[in-house]
Amino acid sequence: MNLAAWNTTLQFAGVSALFALSIYASLWTGVLSLAPVFFGAVSAFTFGWATMTLGLTPVAALALGAVGGGLLGVLTAFLVLRLESHYLAMATIALVLIGRVLVINMEGFTGGVAGTLAPGDLGTWFWCLGCLGAAAYVLARLRGSRFGLAASAVREDPAVAQSLGISPRAVQLVGFTLSGVFGGVAGVLQASFLQFIGPDTFYTHLGFTTLAAVVLGGAYHWLGPIIGAVVFTALPELLRGPLGEFDSIVTGLLLVVIIVYLPRGLVDLRRFRLLRGRGKAVVSE
Amino acid sequence: MSEVLAIEVEGLVKTFGGLRAVAEVDLRVPPRSIYGLLGPNGAGKTTVVNIISGFLAPDRGVIRVHGRETHGLPPYRIAREGVARTYQNIRLFPGMTVLETVATGAYHRRRSTILGAVLLSRAERRERAEVAAKALALIERVGITASPGALAETLSYGDQRRVEIARALAAEPRVLLLDEPTAGMNDAESRQVGELLLGLRAEGLTLVLIEHNMRLVEEFCDEVTVMNSGAVLAVGTLAACLEQPDVREAYFGKRSDARRIETLRRARRG
Repeated sequence: MNLAAWNTTLQFAGVSALFALSIYASLWTGVLSLAPVFFGAVSAFTFGWATMTLGLTPVAALALGAVGGGLLGVLTAFLVLRLESHYLAMATIALVLIGRVLVINMEGFTGGVAGTLAPGDLGTWFWCLGCLGAAAYVLARLRGSRFGLAASAVREDPAVAQSLGISPRAVQLVGFTLSGVFGGVAGVLQASFLQFIGPDTFYTHLGFTTLAAVVLGGAYHWLGPIIGAVVFTALPELLRGPLGEFDSIVTGLLLVVIIVYLPRGLVDLRRFRLLRGRGKAVVSE
Repeated sequence: MSEVLAIEVEGLVKTFGGLRAVAEVDLRVPPRSIYGLLGPNGAGKTTVVNIISGFLAPDRGVIRVHGRETHGLPPYRIAREGVARTYQNIRLFPGMTVLETVATGAYHRRRSTILGAVLLSRAERRERAEVAAKALALIERVGITASPGALAETLSYGDQRRVEIARALAAEPRVLLLDEPTAGMNDAESRQVGELLLGLRAEGLTLVLIEHNMRLVEEFCDEVTVMNSGAVLAVGTLAACLEQPDVREAYFGKRSDARRIETLRRARRG
């Protein structure tokens, strides 16, 4: 693979990482949701329409995508948070399916089956790393905060969290809002890099590969989804040379091995803490 | 009684399928007391605690915490009314350190916002330092010997129970419900917990504890309610309750049973 191809691959890895952080944001509060794909679709097509038809500048349209994504996250939260765990996950998958139907049928807005063009101004390293860095910064700041502790508590044991005065719904609403903003921004960047988006750009495939990236990298620390996304985008490209189209067998196997031996993913603070504790015990003996 | 009760339960009923786990239970816990909830296994003690803390909805009955009706409220609202609890089967958050676990308990005493946390405002930094200092003080007070940076789930059984107490205290409750706080502890450790309870009572806290260690109950509880098969058998001081024949029967079996067991023993020996 040449340098230009690597450049493109890693840029897409950055966008996947942003999608992965979007999934992580709600998973942190104990909600498995594929809604980020839907948030991404809505903001990407809004981006295409706002820049191409309304003549908005790409940066203004990016801001619109972020805010719109956040609002959509809030709306989705009110819609689906009354459901229990797996029904909730199913409902977010349904959102992804509905998204495709909307894209196909709202032709004037999305270009329908043929898809639509989007400006490539934001398809640069600057915007890719800038947005990813900002998202990671927000999550890193929140980690040890009042919200961060509450989010982890709700995820691990919502009943005990409640007995400490934490409202799981309120915490999850924040999670969905963050998820919406990140997903919205990721959608805009995806559209900028591809410069063409259609009904299949934001569909189940994107959702499941991103989810796989989160599982691989680890869903208990913000660094996990980023690493998982980079591995999951770069590895297939590396394997395509020697293995041809069998590359997905290797990535699939890798995922199974990770789930079996590192169920909490590559980046697992709990494992690090256990190892550190063991090291201390050995030293003190 | 002029003073408002810390906890007042009237006519509490809870059935699971055909089983009456709690049948017409009344409970009157005076403020600033250490109150024992006793009874053999399956008497319905934990169910009562689960209902008071909102984990279970009662079929019938009234619950007042410091005069305010709390039945029907979600658990997090009851917690904000000043009710905290620990668990019979220890429930800590996997992956969290001791310090993080206790700091999580301070949630509804904090004013920190998302924006403040992201911008790391001065108020946020000050609050985090305060919460950490308070948590460390609590960790020391309940007698945890392990490092605050250790994973809570790796601590000894007794220390894990102490972490639960510290986490509950971080919420600065007015009423603390303790479900077998000394289970798995030796006598010295249990006494230490008892001394802790005395200190908390002196600060104005009301403590309700489910406890099987009779020596501990005798020494530290002001008053007790004895339950059996979901109903209240006796209320009063431990000594007075143990005078009642039906309490003795619930704990030690019927007198005729005792006689039969004694006969059997003799027969075996002879």
